[in-house]
This record gives sequence, C-alpha cells and structure tokens, in this order.
Amino acid sequence: MNEIELALRVFIVDDEPPARNRLRDLLNDCSEQLALELVGEAGNGREALDKLADTAADVVLLDIRMPQMDGIELAQHLNKLPKPPVVIFTTAYDAYAIKAFDLRVIDYLLKPIRLGRLFEALNRARVAVPVQTEMLRELLPDPRKNLSIHERGKIHLIPIEEVLYLRAELKYITVRTAEREYLIEESLNALEKEFAMRFARIHRNCLIAKDAIAGFEKGGDEGESGWLVKLKGLDELLAISRRQQHIVKDFSRA
Amino acid sequence: MNKALSIRQNNRQYGLPNFRNLGTLLRILIISNTLALLQSLIMSNSWMDVAQHMMQINTLLTPVLFSSLLLLWSAQSWLNRFSYPRGALLVTSLVIAVSVSIYYLGGELYRPPEQLDNFFDLVRCGLLSAVVCGLLLLYFRLRSRILSRALSDARLQVLRARIRPHFLFNTINAVLGIVRAQPKQAEAALEDMADLFRMAMSDVQDLVPLGREIQLSKQYLALEQLRMGDRLRVDWQIRDVSEDVLIPPLLLQPLLENAVYHGIEPLTEGGSISITLSRSGDQLHLVVENPCPLCADLSHQGNRIALRNIRERLDLLFDVEASYQVECGKDFYRVEIVFPYVSRIKERLQP
Repeated sequence: MNEIELALRVFIVDDEPPARNRLRDLLNDCSEQLALELVGEAGNGREALDKLADTAADVVLLDIRMPQMDGIELAQHLNKLPKPPVVIFTTAYDAYAIKAFDLRVIDYLLKPIRLGRLFEALNRARVAVPVQTEMLRELLPDPRKNLSIHERGKIHLIPIEEVLYLRAELKYITVRTAEREYLIEESLNALEKEFAMRFARIHRNCLIAKDAIAGFEKGGDEGESGWLVKLKGLDELLAISRRQQHIVKDFSRA
Repeated sequence: MNKALSIRQNNRQYGLPNFRNLGTLLRILIISNTLALLQSLIMSNSWMDVAQHMMQINTLLTPVLFSSLLLLWSAQSWLNRFSYPRGALLVTSLVIAVSVSIYYLGGELYRPPEQLDNFFDLVRCGLLSAVVCGLLLLYFRLRSRILSRALSDARLQVLRARIRPHFLFNTINAVLGIVRAQPKQAEAALEDMADLFRMAMSDVQDLVPLGREIQLSKQYLALEQLRMGDRLRVDWQIRDVSEDVLIPPLLLQPLLENAVYHGIEPLTEGGSISITLSRSGDQLHLVVENPCPLCADLSHQGNRIALRNIRERLDLLFDVEASYQVECGKDFYRVEIVFPYVSRIKERLQP
C-alpha cells in the first residue's frame, strides 16, 4: 500500500465560513502527524450531498445547527451513499444532542474545536463505522424535512411537503409527488410515526398527505363499495379501507 | 467599592415623578378624584348626597389640582436638582401652599360667612392636601422601584443572552477561524466582544444616548456578520434623529438579537434586517423589520421574555406616552416602538 491510499479523506460541512476556516487550519496542523486529505467542503446540506456524490470521503465533519437541513438529518441521507462516510458532529452547544451522543457513544467535537480533540477523533474515525440510520433518527426530535433516495450514484432529496402519498409495495415504498414516483427502502410504520402531523393512513399500505386531499368519492372496484380519495394534482383515486372510513367524516367536517 | 457605587446609582432612580408626563398627570387626577369619591361615600346617606358631596369637594379639589400641577410642571427641572427627600418636601409644601391659599382666597365659596376666620379650617385643608400629596408620592416611588427591578432584569437578560452558549462559543470559534489569516480583524472582533460584555455588566442607567446604543448594536452585528458573512445584511435608516437623544438602554440590541436568531440564521441565503429611526414631532419611532421563515418559532421562550421586558420598561418609564407594536406577517416580522423624544439630560424622566 502506498501513502496516498492511506490518507484519510476528510470533508467539511458548516454554514459559517470562519468555522470552516478554523477546521481547515486545524486539519493542516494534524496533517503533520496524520495522513490527511481535505477533499472538499460545503456550506449547507444540499451542497454537501451533491459534492459527496462525486467525491468520496472517509470522514465528514458535520455542523449540527445549519439552516434548512440540520446535520443530523444530513447524516441520515449520507448513509444512503454506496460507501457511507464516518460522521463526526461539531457543535457549539446543543444540550439535547450532546446528551444523546453521549448515551450512544457517537463522536462529536465541541466548538471552539481543539487540535488535540480533532486529532483523536480523526484517529478513531479510521477504524470507526458509520452511525446507524435508526440511531440517528432517534436523535432527532423533529421529523426530517426531506426524504432521500439513492439513484444512479446520486442522492436525491424529496422535500417532504411535495410528497402526495406513500404506498408500501413488497419490499419498497412508493413515494409519489406531483411529478413522478420514487422508491425508498423504509418502513411505512416508522414513516407514519415520524410524519404523523402531515400524513394520514387510509389503508394498511398507504399514507396520504392531509394537505393534498381534494375530495372523496363513493365507488370502488371489484364489487367492494367504499370511499375513494382524490388528491390535488393527481388523477389517480386511492381506496380507503373499511377500517379507515372515519377519515372521510373527519375531513369533511374540518 | 463597586457594589457601593451601583447601590448609589440605583438610588438615583427613585426620583420625583416626572410631572411633564401625560401618564403621571392622569394618574394623579384619577387617584385624587377616587379619594374624593371615597370621602363623599363616607359622608353620604343617599346617591343624591354622593353627587352633591362630590361636586362640593371638586369645587376646591379641581382648582387646587390644576394649579399645583401647573406649578410642578414648570418647576420640574428646578425640583430635579434636589435629593429625593428634599424634593418631596418641596413638592408637599408647594401643594399645601397652593391649597391653603386657594381655600383662603375662595372665601365664601368654601365656607359660610360666619366661619371665615376659622383657623381650624385652614389647618385642616393644609393637612388633608399634605396627606393626599404624600400618598401620591409614595405611590410613584413604589412604581419606580418596580421599574428599577425591570431594568436590572433586562441587564441580566442581555448578559444571559451574551453568555448564551450558542453565541459565545460560535463567536469564539469564528475568531479562532480568522486569527491566522486576518489577525487584525480577529483583534477587532475580540474588542467588540469585550464591549458587549461590558455593556451587559455595567451599572443600571435609566436613559442613555442613542449614539451609544447604535454603536453597541453595530458591534454586535459586526460579530454576527463575522460568522454569517454576506448572509446577514443590515440596512440602517436614521432620519432627523440626533445621536444625543436619550433612549432606554438595551432596547435596540435585544431586538436585533432576536432578528438574527429567528430571522436570518434559519435562511440558507440569509436576509436583510432593516432598522429605521425617525422623529415625528415629540416622538421617536424605532422600527426593526426582518424576514421570518418560521413565525411559529417566535413563541420561543427566550424571545418572549426579552420582548416582555422591553414592553414593561417602556410602560414604567413612559407610561401612556410609549407604544409598542408587533406585526407578524407571512414571511416578515416587524416591531415598532414609539416613545417620547427626550433630547436633554435635564428632562431626564423619572416617573
């Protein structure tokens, strides 16, 4: 093995330029004793996902509090990459997250970041494995703002407010937006729990966005008469199961 | 030593009421008339009696009140030169003198002719006016005590916000981030930080020059700009307002802190905070407007406490002469504060 292969590829995500500066300086200091390579940096989650799809990284230094998408959500999306990087969170102060990290032995760095701590964390990262997505989800008190799918080497983000319905089909879940369908590998029950505010269950295998309900129709196929729901921006009608019929009443009243 | 100083400065606040404040005048009128009503209730046997007694009392009370208030209004700056006990004594003597002379000069209007030389009546009149005046002064003194507590609360709050880990650690981290490449800028940032802490820890004052508050606000914004770069844009509009005009301390800066934390930080592209200071007649208008992506978040506890404190201080300091309005639109948040334009130290307000 030559030295280039050994170099730890590091990527920085932080919305504040001076904070990225600081990490760059410190990585530079570390590189005297540790084979390192800074492969890129990003100022927000979306940019990070785009760049990391093209440039592989072993370690991502990830700020927790960022606009639009916080670091914990980003880490979950990063786990969809073919070779997910090890994430080291950075934070100035976030009592909730820190407590959760300590409980689950997830590595994090406190700002202002110390050279010694960064050095240790990078050394550990060589042998570490990425934090499980489930564990990350437990860390997040709020639902994600995006769903992500891995498609042709890229991570696509689907803003949750664009999703019209989620339907379980065999191994996958179909995510339907006004434009198209995506497939994700998640559990419908977990999604229902996470996005309880946004989606309502109309069938054993289907959740619909409450905002998207356009109306209800009586009908049904194969002799089974029941209610169908119509969603805004979609021609398709979705069947409401017998057990979930109360939804029609709930929403007509509202 | 330091403690003794701050105690003395605290005392300075328990001054005489500001007789040029509309709120103070209204309070005096309402309280004395309520006392008169109470008196008529005690003396009466029927509703008609109450009205009659009330009218009788008012023939004396109203001229006494108006002439005393007129006198106090013009003597305000002179009275402010004295210590509180002396000032209070002067005010009381002034009121006694006014009421006794009106009572005396009123002659038959207030007493039947056979009692015109009654010495007891004059003493009674003076005594009663002294008691009412004393009660009013006591009331205003208690009120200003509450104000000084609200002021130290504000100071504590700003201090807590300064030491709010989010701000403190991020700023230190940002300074460390530029210290190698731009040492001069890092120095300036540390100096700004020192000033901000100093202001938060300084002694309580009731009013400070606007220029000082603006300067501190600019230092605070410079620190935030260091972290956020172009994402934080600031638009200052100062029209017809002198930097010497006096305003309550820590009024502008907490508003800006809220604007940055709730308005700018959640936006990837950032946004612009506009601060407008203008004068219309005797009023100073202060408007802070910022984008607000998550207006629901404004129920945030810290935010509400800061705003409530500002409102409370304005109430205590300017009474009905100040107004405070919050407008929360779909994607913007706007605070407008209007209060008296106080341009000279002599007119320092002491409610």
